[in-house]
Amino acid sequence: MSEYLTTTFDKFELRVRKGFYYTRDDLWVSVENGKAKVGVSDYLQKTSGDVAFVEVAKPGSPLEKDKEFGTMESAKTTVALLSPLSGILDQANSNLSGKPELVNSDPYGEGWLVIIAPRNLEDDRTALLSAEDYYKLMLGKLQSEHGKLESR
Amino acid sequence: MKMDAPTKKKVIIIPCSGIGKAFGSISRDATYEVTENLRKDTTQTLCLALLVSGDEDSIRLVRNNKCITVDGCPLQCAEKNLKLAGGKLAGSLRVVDAYKENRHLKPRSVTFLDPDGQQMALKLAERIAEKVDGLLEDQ
Amino acid sequence: MGEVQEKKVGIISCSGEDCVEGTISRVATRQALGKLRPNETVTICLPLFLAGGREEREFARDYPTITVDGCDKMCAKVATERYSGKPASTIVVTDVLKNLHCPKLSSRRKLNNEALAVAEKVAEKIAEEVDEVLRHWV
Repeated sequence: MSEYLTTTFDKFELRVRKGFYYTRDDLWVSVENGKAKVGVSDYLQKTSGDVAFVEVAKPGSPLEKDKEFGTMESAKTTVALLSPLSGILDQANSNLSGKPELVNSDPYGEGWLVIIAPRNLEDDRTALLSAEDYYKLMLGKLQSEHGKLESR
Repeated sequence: MKMDAPTKKKVIIIPCSGIGKAFGSISRDATYEVTENLRKDTTQTLCLALLVSGDEDSIRLVRNNKCITVDGCPLQCAEKNLKLAGGKLAGSLRVVDAYKENRHLKPRSVTFLDPDGQQMALKLAERIAEKVDGLLEDQ
Repeated sequence: MGEVQEKKVGIISCSGEDCVEGTISRVATRQALGKLRPNETVTICLPLFLAGGREEREFARDYPTITVDGCDKMCAKVATERYSGKPASTIVVTDVLKNLHCPKLSSRRKLNNEALAVAEKVAEKIAEEVDEVLRHWV
């Protein structure tokens, strides 16, 4: 059984990792040992183009749900990264400063952005989407897509 | 079309020319800036696809001369294809690295470069030319 | 799983760095993709295709393709046949030029008006071939 829900748009296969939670802004959340690892979905990395910079708040910074904790920049666009949870930013992925392309090549793995020590995990989690619900949301976004996705 | 073999050693500049992204067009334009302007006597380019289709002249050219690949994105197709053909990879540049140094430039247009794209191509061309000079000094 | 689009034609242009016909091939392909048939076509990046790009090769294997080459070396056609399958149609810019009255073409870097006009003709030809392929889609 695949780890992913997948769809094809043009020539691109777009994947949604099962078992993760998602925001409507296309971030994923994976809860491990009481902490939340956060990254961008395959859909977001594909529509953003080649990521050149990822800049996030420093470890130790307080985060508020739905407030900006960083930005992800390509030549095509700058995406504001909105925190899916309230808490403290525990760790940032230091590999991304030298290799931001990890966000594109492995968005659900090595391309993770931050780890958050959540303040109200159970409460904040209720606002997140399941993989299946995010998948439907993503299909809806693709249906209304006007431009073409860039080649990767 | 017969490939002209250089009478003296030249550096071969090979862009990826990726058609789906502005950076692919920039790789191509930067290459032309070098081969037609900045270092026109010491460099030339060739069609990347000829390497993979097995064109003998092209393969001989990249095996006998130092090559610099210019890739639009981290997938580095020009570098990969050159290596597959057994070419002498002497340097590889990426447009995205030129973008990191010129963050204010936001090229958007793919078919015909917009002003930011043209500017980025020129910046990248300067880097390629420096690399060429370094390689020629070593020869 | 859900397919967002079903009937698409892949257009594969040669990279054509070395001659003006290659640039014409590229520009014409972009015009067909972006303006003339944006909803019916997908671009296949030839360098990525050659380097082993999975999405490019699988699309070209599963969907009909049209190759657009600058010259009779036909790199795009050769690559498509080798790695995915016979294209549904092939277009060669030098063949299109034979039917025109020897326009004075510019450098490969910046197309002059004559070369742009040729690119438009090639783009229209691509669009016609796309329509033809879709008409015969089973």
